[in-house]
Amino acid sequence: MNIGLLETGSGNWNAIIWLIMFIIIGISAIWIRSHGEDQYKKNTDQTKPFLSGNREISKEDSHVGASHIYWGFTEALKRYYKPMVALHTGNINDYSGWIILVMAIIFIIVGVS
Amino acid sequence: MKLNKNFDRSLWVFHLNTGSCNGCDIEIVALLTPRYDVERFGIKLVGSPKHADVLLVTGPVNRKMLPRLKLIYDQTPDPKAVIVVGTCGSSGGVFYDSYNIVGPVDKHIPVDVYVPGCPIRPEAIINGVLKAWLKLERIRNESNKAKVIETAKEASS
Repeated sequence: MNIGLLETGSGNWNAIIWLIMFIIIGISAIWIRSHGEDQYKKNTDQTKPFLSGNREISKEDSHVGASHIYWGFTEALKRYYKPMVALHTGNINDYSGWIILVMAIIFIIVGVS
Repeated sequence: MKLNKNFDRSLWVFHLNTGSCNGCDIEIVALLTPRYDVERFGIKLVGSPKHADVLLVTGPVNRKMLPRLKLIYDQTPDPKAVIVVGTCGSSGGVFYDSYNIVGPVDKHIPVDVYVPGCPIRPEAIINGVLKAWLKLERIRNESNKAKVIETAKEASS
């Protein structure tokens, strides 16, 4: 009996082998880390990222917003997005009004038919 | 051939141009060509000062590069050595009285080795790097000795 053996048809996975590999890789990683440079000064520029000698700007300033990533997408569909954005006022009364209006239309359609 | 103990660790070098005309930089690149091939000694140019043992600085240090020079020096882990390559970095060279020059390099960061020349010959750079290497080995040995003494004191107490 093979404990933890999973055969998928295209390969197999064994929990014991996975555990052994995890331990070996973990020990290797700790060993490599222990041989790293230990004379760096903590809480100085030595622990900050290297950006070609430039100071690191704040996270807020370096943030790339979703509008940048999806620019091409929204630009192509702006005829759809513009009215949709205009409808999203952020006012709960408007949203409740839309629900009541749409439900009223649905009831009328259902009642007529 | 067995290499001596100075070769027990590769020396990684970060090159920083603080406003050089590129004459010195071309000579530094020449070190990597088959004619000089310093990588056979373990001397390697790296892309980040965080990986470097040695800071190789060219150029007379202009105003724009000064904060970058200081930051990159601070970001290089200790123990480190600084080599100034070329006349401009050593003394300002022909740009010494320019309105835009705030150098030479040793006015702002401590320098261990000067390699003057306009431009320098690649052999001179190799000589400078070896001098920096010896300094680093000395620092490492002193540091190791201090660690051994500290450990012995802790063990005896």
